[in-house]
Amino acid sequence: MISEDSKAIILLCTRMVLDKNSEVQPFTLSEWNALAKKIASSNYQRPGSLFGETMEGLVEGLQISTDQAARTVHLLGFARRLGFEFERLESTGIWIITRADKDYPQKYKERLKEKSPAVLFGVGEKTLLNQAGVAIVGSRNITENEQSFAEMIGNSAAYNGMVVFSGGARGVDITAMKNAIEGRGCSVGLLADSLERAIRKPEYRRALLNGDMALISPYGTNTGFSVGAAMGRNKLIYGLADYAVVVSSDHKKGGTWAGAIEAMKYKWLPVFVRQHEQMPLGNQALIQMGGIELPDPLPVAVKDLKKWMDEQKEVWQESSILSTNFKQGSLF
Amino acid sequence: MNQDYQKALTYLRKMLGEKAVFRDGQWETIDMIANRKKKALLVQRTGWGKSLVYFLATKLLREQDSGPTLLISPLLSLMRNQITMAERIGVAAETINCENLDQWKQVENNLMTDKCDILLVSPERLNNENFQRALLPVISAKVGLLVVDEAHCISDWGHDFRPDYRRIIRIIHYLPKGVPVLGTTATANNRVVEDIKSQLGDDLLVIRGPLVRTSLRLQNITIRSRADRLAWLAQNINKFPGSGIIYCLTVHDTKLVAGWLQKNNIEAVAYYGGVENREELECGLQKNEFKALVATVALGMGFDKPDLGFVIHFQRPGSVIAYYQQVGRAGRALDRSYGILLNGDEDDEIQEYFIKTAFPPIAVTQDIVSALEKSEGMTINQLLSKVNVSFSMAEKALKLLEIESVVQKEKDKYYRTANPWRPDIERIEKVTLQRELELQQMKDYVGYSGCLMEFLERALDDIWPKPCGICSNCKKKGLSAEVHEHLHVKACDYISNWPVEIKPKTRLPVGVLLEGRGVSLRDLKIKPGRALCYYGDSGWGKLVQKGKYEDNYFSDKLVGASADLIVNKWNFDAKAPKWITAIPSRRRPELVYNFAGRLGKVLNLPFVPVFDRFAEAPEQKGMQNSAMQARNVLNSLKIIKEPLADPVLLVDDIRDSGWTLTIAGKLLVESGCEIVFPFTLASTSKG
Repeated sequence: MISEDSKAIILLCTRMVLDKNSEVQPFTLSEWNALAKKIASSNYQRPGSLFGETMEGLVEGLQISTDQAARTVHLLGFARRLGFEFERLESTGIWIITRADKDYPQKYKERLKEKSPAVLFGVGEKTLLNQAGVAIVGSRNITENEQSFAEMIGNSAAYNGMVVFSGGARGVDITAMKNAIEGRGCSVGLLADSLERAIRKPEYRRALLNGDMALISPYGTNTGFSVGAAMGRNKLIYGLADYAVVVSSDHKKGGTWAGAIEAMKYKWLPVFVRQHEQMPLGNQALIQMGGIELPDPLPVAVKDLKKWMDEQKEVWQESSILSTNFKQGSLF
Repeated sequence: MNQDYQKALTYLRKMLGEKAVFRDGQWETIDMIANRKKKALLVQRTGWGKSLVYFLATKLLREQDSGPTLLISPLLSLMRNQITMAERIGVAAETINCENLDQWKQVENNLMTDKCDILLVSPERLNNENFQRALLPVISAKVGLLVVDEAHCISDWGHDFRPDYRRIIRIIHYLPKGVPVLGTTATANNRVVEDIKSQLGDDLLVIRGPLVRTSLRLQNITIRSRADRLAWLAQNINKFPGSGIIYCLTVHDTKLVAGWLQKNNIEAVAYYGGVENREELECGLQKNEFKALVATVALGMGFDKPDLGFVIHFQRPGSVIAYYQQVGRAGRALDRSYGILLNGDEDDEIQEYFIKTAFPPIAVTQDIVSALEKSEGMTINQLLSKVNVSFSMAEKALKLLEIESVVQKEKDKYYRTANPWRPDIERIEKVTLQRELELQQMKDYVGYSGCLMEFLERALDDIWPKPCGICSNCKKKGLSAEVHEHLHVKACDYISNWPVEIKPKTRLPVGVLLEGRGVSLRDLKIKPGRALCYYGDSGWGKLVQKGKYEDNYFSDKLVGASADLIVNKWNFDAKAPKWITAIPSRRRPELVYNFAGRLGKVLNLPFVPVFDRFAEAPEQKGMQNSAMQARNVLNSLKIIKEPLADPVLLVDDIRDSGWTLTIAGKLLVESGCEIVFPFTLASTSKG
């Protein structure tokens, strides 16, 4: 069952039950962060307590403008529509989690902090989001060498019991996820487009039904509604993982590059970069900027890959200051 | 409270007239819903005034500024009278159905601007994708009362469980707290009530009234053969007052009975799900324009005619509850009305068939699910070319899967959802067992020697069951089962002359391609054919069965009857067949050829075999849908000798799907034969 807090967040931050041409807009992520802080420090404490509150009450209780208060009351007023919409989503197998839920990936809150998406839509095995794993990323267009490296890494991750986090795009993403599943492992795909369409793809279906896979998206379930302020998908992939492997990256452009730079800058996790004599310029640059070399072929046997990566991680950790821990519920 | 009561009473009188008063339970229920916002289940007989309760409750709720009422009912078309009544107290009703798509926008506007007080929707509509996207959000944002009509359909145990109702339960669970819910039904025994309670919540209040009909005279009469039951009807029907309903188990029987009564100068018409002028027929019965409407259960819940003189069952229904609901339509406002249950030989077979086919076989459902799993969405026809299942069974399975959220329908395509599925064998077994018990109880009723009304009341868990004093068992007299000899002969003759037409196929199923010239079936000169009888029917049907499976020889009687039909009862438009050919079989090579040869001798036409089977295909009757059937024949039949150009009589023993005859006909025409007239001894499809 969906909690009152989550209902409030969904109503305030998504277009899920809003009319298409509604003049009142849902809160953007930064607007919501500001409001969330006020709620937490007010007598309301939780977003769920806002239901049934009047505009005047909110102005008084939250110290916000009448405009903001009116907007809040208006958006929360659609609560009755949620039931039917939840039922509809549930019947396709889609679930929703918000920052107020226990199942919400804790790593996002730790790493992305206020940039964590307020609402995630998903399908498949929810618990995979909080499991240990490796983000495998790279370009859409890859060489044969890169293709077989992605296959091998996906497979090895499965062999070593690590969930593969990836983007579901063609190229490295799909290759790695597919090989993780084929290696009897698990994978989580962060999609940039419609979940409802992805569910219908036969290639994902078996794994989803077997509980070996989850697909998530911050962008809502179909084109009709999307989260106000969604952030780059690459962050969300790195955000869930314990290690990252960059198979191939363009130089100074593209999502892979930007995501890797960001992950290294904020020291979310150790970023391994495929090292090969024919590697692209992007890989070379990332290694120079602090990426950990991951030689192709691997320096150790597949079964020892995790152990090897952990050793590298320890070295990396000594030079890094880890992000502060968030307590559950301190950010909703 | 007193004030509320007075107000409600004033409205009641506006609807029904100056002297109207509440029946026991009506005001209590209204009060419970409108003022105390409870969940209630109203179990009252048809005609008691259940609709009055929700119209008045809606009125009171609207005065308290509540949102509109959402009424879910399978019987919208029959509610016109009630809607007119509601208008008298200013309750504006809107209906959403498949026929008024163009008005949806208007309805939506009326909902938005708060001009609609009660929205009537069928359960099927509720599951409709367009409705869910366009209107459901609007109404769900403010629904003030949810009414579920015929609430027994929620229950698996109900004789009339409808999968669409399962969705309703889920929606109720998502309703905001404080929205009152009212379920209504006329037929629910304790078991069903308990089941509804367990699904709608223990806080459901049950208001139950007596279901007994004090003027209804019941009698059960066993007459084994269909023909004698027909004779009985012709002999007795004019003894009953006014107009009535004759219920049959199959569409075929409604046509048979109606045709027979017409032949005997009794005004009767057949009524079934697919009949064209349904509304007109209902109206005609209302106005006593004919003696009897001969109907399947399609003439179902909610049909309200207070002066219905009689309800006769031509065959025995599957459960006491279903029977009571049907017979209970008789004589609400009459001092004397009749409920006669005829029953005979075919009843068991038909009922067992119903029970057997109530759920799609698990293996079939599994095949459907896995076919969908491998696809990116399929139409039902695409699915049929992959899975060996009949259209209607596939439809049934998909419906259930859709309700279980295993499958999703969008436009005309079905998609596998991301919800896991495993067949609910336990539930199927449980319900099947229950149906068998209900059937047994119905058989017990037929043979019961005590008061019949009391038996029904007990079965329905009515409050005070007691002997009625007017049924044939209480009175120890009733109508005789005997029929006049001349009617018996006439009825036998009628049945054996009942024309069984074989309609030519005009389209190949999706997914099956014909090789070669690509002649469309529509252009082929295959004429409508005939069968001597329906397979297994008393009369010729049994003889065919015996000939095929016991004697491996079709008797001379069948040859004679076939020749009689072909010569005397079939109009060939001057293009009568000049020769005979037949469908070969590897399994029983002699059977049909032998029959066709003898038929040729009697008709004085040459018998010329032209076909061969080049492979022994699986039996055609094992193929469950047209794609499979057509493919099966295409893979096994070929012409080995050039046919004559003259019109031909194409003979086979039993027509199952019609694809064998169609493909054989096509081969004949393509090889130069002018016209093909199919003929079979029996046809398995009815209706």
